[in-house]
Amino acid sequence: MERAPVRAPLIKNLEFKVGLLLTLTLLVIVLFILYTLYARGAFERARELILVAPNAEGVSVGMPLSFSGFPIGQVARMALTENGEVRIVVEVKEKDARWLRTSSVFTLEKGFIGGAKIRAFTTNLKDPQLPDRAERKLLTGDATEEIPVLIAKVKAILENVQGMTAPDSSINQSLDHVRTVTERMTGEYGVMEGVLGGPDKAQRLVTALDRANSLLTTLNGVSLKVDSVLAKTDQRVFGTDGTLARVDQSIAGVNAILGDVRDSLKKADAILANAQQATANVTAITADVKGATADLATLRTEVDDSIRKVNHLINEINKKWPFARDVEIKLP
Amino acid sequence: MPFLASLLTRRGAATLNWLRGWNGLTRFGAGAVVEALTPSFYNSATRSVVQKQIYFTAWQILPGYGLFAALLSFVIIQIVVSKARDFGLSDYALEMTMRVLVLELLPLITALFVALRSGAAINTEVALMNINNEIKALREAGVDPMRFEFVPRVIGGMISVVSLISFSSIVALVLAYLVVYGWQLSGFADFTRVIAKVFVPLAMFGLILKALAFGLAVTVIPISAGLNAPQKLFFAPISVLQGMVRLFFVLMIIEVASLALQYI
Amino acid sequence: MLADGAARQHLLDEHPQAAQVSVGLPLRANLSVLENICIVPQYRQNLGYEDAADQAWGLLGLLGRTDCAFKRDPDLDHEERFIAKLLRAVVLTPPIILIDRPGMLLPDTHYPPFLERTLDSLEGRFAQCWIVDYQWNEPLYAPR
Repeated sequence: MERAPVRAPLIKNLEFKVGLLLTLTLLVIVLFILYTLYARGAFERARELILVAPNAEGVSVGMPLSFSGFPIGQVARMALTENGEVRIVVEVKEKDARWLRTSSVFTLEKGFIGGAKIRAFTTNLKDPQLPDRAERKLLTGDATEEIPVLIAKVKAILENVQGMTAPDSSINQSLDHVRTVTERMTGEYGVMEGVLGGPDKAQRLVTALDRANSLLTTLNGVSLKVDSVLAKTDQRVFGTDGTLARVDQSIAGVNAILGDVRDSLKKADAILANAQQATANVTAITADVKGATADLATLRTEVDDSIRKVNHLINEINKKWPFARDVEIKLP
Repeated sequence: MPFLASLLTRRGAATLNWLRGWNGLTRFGAGAVVEALTPSFYNSATRSVVQKQIYFTAWQILPGYGLFAALLSFVIIQIVVSKARDFGLSDYALEMTMRVLVLELLPLITALFVALRSGAAINTEVALMNINNEIKALREAGVDPMRFEFVPRVIGGMISVVSLISFSSIVALVLAYLVVYGWQLSGFADFTRVIAKVFVPLAMFGLILKALAFGLAVTVIPISAGLNAPQKLFFAPISVLQGMVRLFFVLMIIEVASLALQYI
Repeated sequence: MLADGAARQHLLDEHPQAAQVSVGLPLRANLSVLENICIVPQYRQNLGYEDAADQAWGLLGLLGRTDCAFKRDPDLDHEERFIAKLLRAVVLTPPIILIDRPGMLLPDTHYPPFLERTLDSLEGRFAQCWIVDYQWNEPLYAPR
């Protein structure tokens, strides 16, 4: 049979052209759908971040969460909680999650025009990363609302600073006091003078310590005398009702008190040595002043305490010791 | 009274006729879709008609239409971007162009273009075929005209419209990227984010559905208008007129419905 | 070979299976003669375009009319148009071919000898051929 000479006379390569068009169309559609899926993060793991806000006005699903002006996530869904707050679930792509740290702050800002913006601020990128499904407060406030509050706060801060730097401010007064204290410390009695408020008072403390020393020697004498008295009046005391036991107790007490007094004096010596060292270096003084004052205060109370105890003891001895009324103990 | 009665009769007849037209249209459209989904429908002859329809409706006009779509998109993108910048809303310029161009304007313009070009041609051809008795001749020769002439055109028309919409949309998206970010890749992440915001599944689904509906309307309405014409030559222009008006309204209704579904 | 007006219509209605060649059944105007013949086997037997075109080309060759294969309806003269319609009917090898009022199909031709020649060339491609014509044209036909 004879073959037809021309195939499709009207259109050349009809099937090829239509096939090409169909393939390209399908390709375009499929690729675009894949691209939108990719854009919506279908191929990427995302973390969820829950922001709790009292008011979600202006927030819509799909709204970006921006960090330094770059979108790193978007609002996935929103819901009201039991107590009337709004839970906004933001999806953050895994690769952008590193911008959010535990110390990050989230704000919702409303401008004068256009929609609201959710922004994240991270000051310290060394903090641990925000975990998945972490809940954070969303700080709201629009630009117009925030400005006066901010100004008021700044004003208050500035006023405080001004008050601090005024000539009659407490800081200045304190600095003045520090100066007088350090001036005094350079005087004859060093830190003592500084702490106690003047050379005469320091003098008094020193005399007090001297007296305590002399008291100590006197007490030594007392105890010797007591020993001898005890030896002499041994049999007198022996056999009479319960006195001996009490005397024994008292003597033990006296010994203990004497030990205390000795310790206190040792401490005073150490502090005085410190103070002497300190006077050599003025800057070191100011640093040590606090410690020194604390030490001196305890020393003073200890000395007072010891003296009071000694006094009490002597009274006790006088009461229980009927034969030695003539023994006189002079107290400073 | 006789006047009123005759008026009512004429009005009633006109209304009935109008309803009959829509009824025929719906029946034909449904029949065409059913046929198109039947595997046995496709044979050597019908395939060739589908191919020819796609060739004439899409391939032939693709370069010219692509150029036109690019020009239109470029102008609109420029306007939106520069105006948005003036008002300090540049963040929304890209989203705006995508919504306006890709989701609404380009599909509608494509459908209107195909309607004007191929729709009118199909309407005329079918009306003339009908008037010339060619349809009956085909049936006598053992060829079902519905299957051989009409359904392939519907399929080809739908594929063509979808194809033209996809290509012009891609052109518009590429142009939007270039206008906003220039010849660099740095804007890609931002662009992707806007894409994610605009082309949510609902919008994507709506766009595909709309493109298919446009394609269906652009061929089904002219064919059914041509078939419904009385077999007299002077009815050919009337049939085209009616078909085109009907097509215009259907396209607009589809557009309004899609807008309403997405934004209300 | 019958005749008459109402009887003719009756005959047509009684034999719907007959492949008609008639003035009332035109060719597809936007297809060439070859394609008009092709679409029938393409559609009915899902034959590829190439094979269908070969078949149609062969039929046209039998009648020595391959020159008009790529012409469309408006460019055809009456004989060519008739041949195209006839071949469209013949291509499926139907049992009956019914040529309706050949005088209208071939107004410029002394058609009985022409028909005879043509049908002889297509011998074996159909079982019967009926020609329906008016009774007053009977003298035109040679007695059989």
